[in-house]
Amino acid sequence: MMDMSNFPQTGASHTAAHGDDAEAALLQRYAQGDAAAARLLAATLTPRLYGHALRVLGDRAEAEDVAQEAMLKLWKVAPEWRSGEARVSTWLYRVVANRCIDRLRKRRSTGLDEIDEPADPAVSVERRILDAARLDALQQALDQLPDRQKQAVVLRHIDGLANPEIAVILETGVAAVESLTARGKRALTQALAGQKDALGYDDD
Amino acid sequence: MPWGMTMTDDDKINTELDTLFQQARAAPAQMPEGLMARVLADADALQPAAVRLRWQVLLRALGGAPGVGGLITAGCFGFWLGVAPPASLPDLAGTVLGFEATLDAEIEGGTLTAFGWDIEES
Repeated sequence: MMDMSNFPQTGASHTAAHGDDAEAALLQRYAQGDAAAARLLAATLTPRLYGHALRVLGDRAEAEDVAQEAMLKLWKVAPEWRSGEARVSTWLYRVVANRCIDRLRKRRSTGLDEIDEPADPAVSVERRILDAARLDALQQALDQLPDRQKQAVVLRHIDGLANPEIAVILETGVAAVESLTARGKRALTQALAGQKDALGYDDD
Repeated sequence: MPWGMTMTDDDKINTELDTLFQQARAAPAQMPEGLMARVLADADALQPAAVRLRWQVLLRALGGAPGVGGLITAGCFGFWLGVAPPASLPDLAGTVLGFEATLDAEIEGGTLTAFGWDIEES
């Protein structure tokens, strides 16, 4: 049966801020056999999940897998979904966040990261210059952040979510989210400055 | 920042960071071809059949599971009353089906009672 621990415990502020959840209503319609509801849900949610996973993982194929897996999980739990328990989008972001962390950890443990980033710093700089035209600077900087900081920064500044929701997604407190985003932004700033040095940018 | 103050490098980079965030929000990633189709195929494969919807509607009209349970109980009790009515009620099933479910039928000079356990000798 369904693992109920997957449902985030919604705090008071969270519930108050998002009283009605149109996506939960659509999910109920999907569970009752309405095919149009599935199309609406997929069209609204999949691009957001894919976009988030892409920023966190920096890899299109992996982001695609994660987004599809999260939506698959949603279709599975649909008949047992309890409205008011959690917002559909929050629950999905949480599924995606957990899968991203799993993949990032797996990458490190299997050393797959090394394929993308040559160990020799000289080669790395050269490569970055070559890639600069096609890879955007933000993604390069994001890739250098610790996992949790990266997730918090992406959720806050690119997905545009509020701190209480991010806290639910990352299963932590609001204060921890504030600290993660603040540290993440500082680290990003440093990474961007580093890129400039490496590329010999001139801002003016 | 008040006029007359110069921007530090950190401020410049912070502003640049915000610009990058804005650009990222304004231009969301293009979805890979086929992802939406795969997501919808999953949805289709996992969607509970629409037949279930009609059952759920009927069930709800009858008052949900407790209502249906009550209906079944009442139905069974009614059937039992028809087959074996108390003495005070007319035996409608017997009348309709053409026999009387009574136990004191006369059989050739003897009286058959209690399923034949105490048949009187003639």
